[in-house]
Amino acid sequence: MAAIVRISSVCHRGVKPLFYRSSLLSRTLVAQQKDQDCPYPLTATIHGSSSLYAASVSKAASLHWTGERVVSVLLLAMGPAAYYFPGPAVDYSLAAALTLHGHWGIGQVLTDYVHGEPKIKMVNAGLFLLSTVTFAGLCYFNYNDVGICKAVALLWSK
Amino acid sequence: MALLLRTFTRQGTCLFRPQFGILCRHAVPMGTTANEEMNTFWAKNNKLNRPMSPHLTIYKWSMPMMMSITHRGTGVGLSGGISAFALLALVLPGNYPYYLDLIHSLSVGPALLSLAKFGIAFPVSYHTLNGIRHLFWDSGKGFKIPEVYRSGYVVIVLSILTSIAAIGYM
Repeated sequence: MAAIVRISSVCHRGVKPLFYRSSLLSRTLVAQQKDQDCPYPLTATIHGSSSLYAASVSKAASLHWTGERVVSVLLLAMGPAAYYFPGPAVDYSLAAALTLHGHWGIGQVLTDYVHGEPKIKMVNAGLFLLSTVTFAGLCYFNYNDVGICKAVALLWSK
Repeated sequence: MALLLRTFTRQGTCLFRPQFGILCRHAVPMGTTANEEMNTFWAKNNKLNRPMSPHLTIYKWSMPMMMSITHRGTGVGLSGGISAFALLALVLPGNYPYYLDLIHSLSVGPALLSLAKFGIAFPVSYHTLNGIRHLFWDSGKGFKIPEVYRSGYVVIVLSILTSIAAIGYM
């Protein structure tokens, strides 16, 4: 049973008339009786948001978080893969994983520092463009040039 | 329910004082997401033209703070570098070995070369190792303060060592 009370009516010490409170906050207040001096049994349960709020909350944010960690682990595995098995398979996987990891990472930075609906939309659009171009460029490099693994090997050979 | 309200006021109990022996907990009545609440915060405070309290300028810098921003800095830097590389690959006419030979022909000394290699290797190494540290945190481990500092020092030392080793390689 959820007891909806005026917070102010229970927040002040001493007996106060209920109806003279001007501030009305309707929040669900759940009280659990711990002391034995209250003779009235109180049974109350905590209600999560689902029973009070009709619409359910999307799992998008949670799935995004999990996706970020999955890509991070995959990228980690591609380090040794690139070293021991260089070739087009790793090249294109690396292009995809690097771009996605970077896209999501920069996305978090933008979420932290950019505020205001129109600005957020703008910078995210810019980021999407940048990531698309980055992926295109890396794939182009893999196809028409030496490829990522070979490029790193050549760079380090000097 | 009216009985409940009259009960409390008659007794004069304040439910918010834990020392009266009654524990109260709030259930979340509204289903706002963290993102929504953040946007509301910024909209309200910008609308009221409130200045932001000093934070970075007054709070004492700690090792975990510095490592965190370095992780972000290396991430942004590496991402920018990869994007720049991809853009150049699309735009420049020649191929990769051509440009590599061009850079080689500049004949920079071995010291500068080692420095450049360290400059590339360290961000990769640091971001990777600190990233692993982050993944441990994501699994719920290593949050005690001594553990945070210990793992932090391990990441820093290993980053430097692997970067130096990478210079010597080949």
